[in-house]
Amino acid sequence: MKRAEKLLALILAVMMLLSLAACGGEPAAEEPADTAEEPAAQEEIIINFPCIWVGTDSKAAYLAQMVEEFNTENAGSIKVVIEEQTDYQAYRDKLRTLVTTGNIPDISIMDTTFDIKGFAESGKFMDLTPYLDEGWGDNFTEGCFDAWSVDGKVSILPFESAVFPICYNTEILKECGYDSFPETYDEMLQMFKDIKAKGYNAVGQMAGENAWTSMLWYSLIVEAIGGKDVYADGLSNPAFVEAAEVLKEMYNYTFDGAVSAGAADVNGHFLSRDTAIYLNGPWWISNFYKEENAVDGVGLNEIVDVARNPVYEGGKGDGTGVVTTVQGFLACAKQEDPAKEAAVVKFLQYISEPERVSQWALSSGAMFFIKYTPSPDTNEISQKFTEIANNSSYSVLHVNGAMPTAFSTEFPAALSALVLGQTDAQGFVDQLQTAIDNSV
Amino acid sequence: MKPTRSDRRALAAFMAPAVVLILLFFVIPVLYVAVVSLLKWNGITSPEFNALRNFSLLFKDKAFTRSIINNLIWALVAGGIQVPLAMLMAIILSRKPRGWKFFRTVYFFPQVISGIALAALWRSIYNADTGLLNGLLRAMGMGELACDWLGGLETAFPAVLIYWVFYVGYYMVIMMADITTIDSSYYDAATIDGATDFQQAIYITIPLIKNTSLLTCVTLASVLGLRQFEQVYMLTNGQPANTTSTIVLYLYKKLQDANYGMASASAAVLIVVGAIFIICIRRLFRERSAKISGLDTKGVL
Amino acid sequence: MMGSGIRSKTAKARLINFFRWILIIFFAAYTLFPLLWLVISSFKTNYEFLAESPFSLPQVWQVENYVKALEVAGLGRMLFNSVVVGLSATLINVAIASMSGYCISRFNFRGREKMFLLFTIGILVPLNALMVPYFVIINKLGLYNTYGGLILLYCAIGIPMSTVIIRGLMDSIPMEIEEAAYIDGCGFYGRFFHVCLPLARTGIVTAATFQFLTCWNEFVFANLIVSSEKLRTIQVGIRYFTNQFSTDYVSMYAAIVISIVPSILGYVIFQEQIISGLTSGAVKG
Repeated sequence: MKRAEKLLALILAVMMLLSLAACGGEPAAEEPADTAEEPAAQEEIIINFPCIWVGTDSKAAYLAQMVEEFNTENAGSIKVVIEEQTDYQAYRDKLRTLVTTGNIPDISIMDTTFDIKGFAESGKFMDLTPYLDEGWGDNFTEGCFDAWSVDGKVSILPFESAVFPICYNTEILKECGYDSFPETYDEMLQMFKDIKAKGYNAVGQMAGENAWTSMLWYSLIVEAIGGKDVYADGLSNPAFVEAAEVLKEMYNYTFDGAVSAGAADVNGHFLSRDTAIYLNGPWWISNFYKEENAVDGVGLNEIVDVARNPVYEGGKGDGTGVVTTVQGFLACAKQEDPAKEAAVVKFLQYISEPERVSQWALSSGAMFFIKYTPSPDTNEISQKFTEIANNSSYSVLHVNGAMPTAFSTEFPAALSALVLGQTDAQGFVDQLQTAIDNSV
Repeated sequence: MKPTRSDRRALAAFMAPAVVLILLFFVIPVLYVAVVSLLKWNGITSPEFNALRNFSLLFKDKAFTRSIINNLIWALVAGGIQVPLAMLMAIILSRKPRGWKFFRTVYFFPQVISGIALAALWRSIYNADTGLLNGLLRAMGMGELACDWLGGLETAFPAVLIYWVFYVGYYMVIMMADITTIDSSYYDAATIDGATDFQQAIYITIPLIKNTSLLTCVTLASVLGLRQFEQVYMLTNGQPANTTSTIVLYLYKKLQDANYGMASASAAVLIVVGAIFIICIRRLFRERSAKISGLDTKGVL
Repeated sequence: MMGSGIRSKTAKARLINFFRWILIIFFAAYTLFPLLWLVISSFKTNYEFLAESPFSLPQVWQVENYVKALEVAGLGRMLFNSVVVGLSATLINVAIASMSGYCISRFNFRGREKMFLLFTIGILVPLNALMVPYFVIINKLGLYNTYGGLILLYCAIGIPMSTVIIRGLMDSIPMEIEEAAYIDGCGFYGRFFHVCLPLARTGIVTAATFQFLTCWNEFVFANLIVSSEKLRTIQVGIRYFTNQFSTDYVSMYAAIVISIVPSILGYVIFQEQIISGLTSGAVKG
């Protein structure tokens, strides 16, 4: 009896040790992590693609369709395997870890929170320049590689773009005596006052979460004040301080609780039609057309119109500029095997084919750095977005793309300090500058 | 009990799995963190030795010092208010009032509900516009007190801290598990002597759980307070003006910036601060238990 | 077992009783409210959730949120994975932690308190900072994208917490009982299996509950060290309804409600079956 127990306990202990030791012995026999799903014997090339354009993302359905068609066309030779990633923050955490540990996925989607130029310089990503030079590059919009290439080489590909026109509720504006959107900042701020006086909120702002909406406004104001070269000297340009003053003033005309507000609050206020002005990228357009957002049978799309960023008196922006960003880069790991490299490029070329991109844009509302003919079925608001993008003489990056990541991470803290009067506009800029100085 | 010779081998075998896991998943990774804390490294270019510069940057950053203070307050409130509340409820429920099993289960629910939902709820309650709290204040004619709770420099941190204090189920369950093992003859004797429930709790229950589950709970609560991240991340993301930031949130933001050196340095600071805190708690309990004895029949040797 | 029957009906006692019930009900309401809110929110439309008061009732109860959650996100498979991973990691974790907890609680070996301090400090190690080392370890062990990787990692990260809880509750077993067993000729393993384990069962169940919930609610590493959809756990499923730009809140809440049903059921059953079964047979000494 006692011996049996002793035995049992020993077995228990040994088993656990063994399970650990056994695990330790395995890796030599097994394949490296990023190709764990690869069937061993076949010739088929497996391309792994941890991807954010899945699930409820508007680009998901058409991407899935393209991948399926591509896999069918190349059955037996290439197979693209999508790893669904829906939570963007977790996706970033995973990508960062994979890059740091030397397990860069064959294809991944990055945004400007990554150190794109640093990644390009590292030489760990595939150099796409030879393929782009062979004619593939002609599909891309002019100059889209300029900000992201290193020594004339493109390795991380700007792919999904975005512009940020101002969307507004025409009914609220009419009620407050405005038939069209103001063309200068002074007029706009006066209008904000009038709207607030009528009991509405003029503009959605948020300093909570990542302060997305307010950071977008900041980009717009910075563009209006500083013009197209505003980022040339970093934050030392006085436009950044002046823009902070304007942003702070806008907090007088937003809804209660904007300091702690997040994206859900900003969206909720615009949907419930108590706030006149909304600022976001093209991906949000589909929400204007959703039936559940209609009130008394009036769809939001029927009362929403789109405007350019107004002109700032004495500012360097001339009203023909547009704030843009790279919403998604395609990043590919450097491949040892030329056949695999060719397969990856083949897939990239497949999904950047102009006709496919046109379909993709239609079905998702997204915008791309690809020259394509928009489908005639494109909805009205999307068309207006595209028009503004196309009729601009210059474009300025959204601050989160133009500045190091540390800027965006610090932005909510600096902004809430500014709005709550803990610091002034200069202090706000200094705080962001310190964050940048301390980053790596 | 002193281990006999034959016990020693068994002891080693029994400790081995836990020790191996602790070495592999805690000691080695923490050594890694210690090394990285001395580097300037973004995870992609080759790291540079940075000596203690990361630490000097940390302590110059007001957001970080504020985070340490917040965490210490959090740990004190968790250990000094949340756990005593949990103990009170554990004592009440272990007297088996009507429906005590139901309540014991209900009190545990917040642990089961995902943190996302809990944070979303409390954001709605604290919401300046549509929030329940402001609604209640207005209904009671105290509308002038209504404010943007999570957006005020003075109110945000207390708001984040207070709502959490009343979720006591976690610690209550641990202490109830302990209280139910107390020999009922103690209480029978006390009842015959005419001791009230209150006296029984003070003179029997609390001394008997003090060095076991109460110590465990105070330790756990303080440590989890020092490690607080998820709720703050989802409720306020450290805002406004970093007044609700915590060390782990700060660390996570440095990771987002791919600033591995400073992220690791803040992890190292947390571990050191936490270790000091834990040692203090254990000292405190040991000294107290040396003074009070008599009834303390259960042994920590 | 405790004297609830004998109670003098003085005014003071009534007052105490009144306050007792106020407390009990306050805490119950406080903890039930989130659950209630969550369930109600999960039946709204996104418009109702975002644009109307967060504390109103839905006009039409949207059962389709649940249909969507179950169909679109494939929660069934994920629930299964979470159960497999959670149960395995909990069983192994609790077995290991009972053994170490027993040693630390009952034997006065050299370095005991230092080792226990090391375990306790383990609880406060911020796991976010360990993404890189954990990924490397799991990858080197060949466990990337396997059940084994998740089970091993979850089991390991819970060891400090489980050991602290189990040790704490084992400390409350009177030493006399064990000494009596020792005099009766009971060896190391006999005392572990016959004396300590049965008496510390409450503690072990408590540790197991927490360990299981840790596994069930863990997301960062579930996403980090698994890539295949076949191995995804429930927390990954809940995030299915968020994307880069927006969140389908109501469907997400439906998914959360679905995800907590097994935990609550498991908890209730666990409590009934194990804790209540053992309190009666507990300490005699």
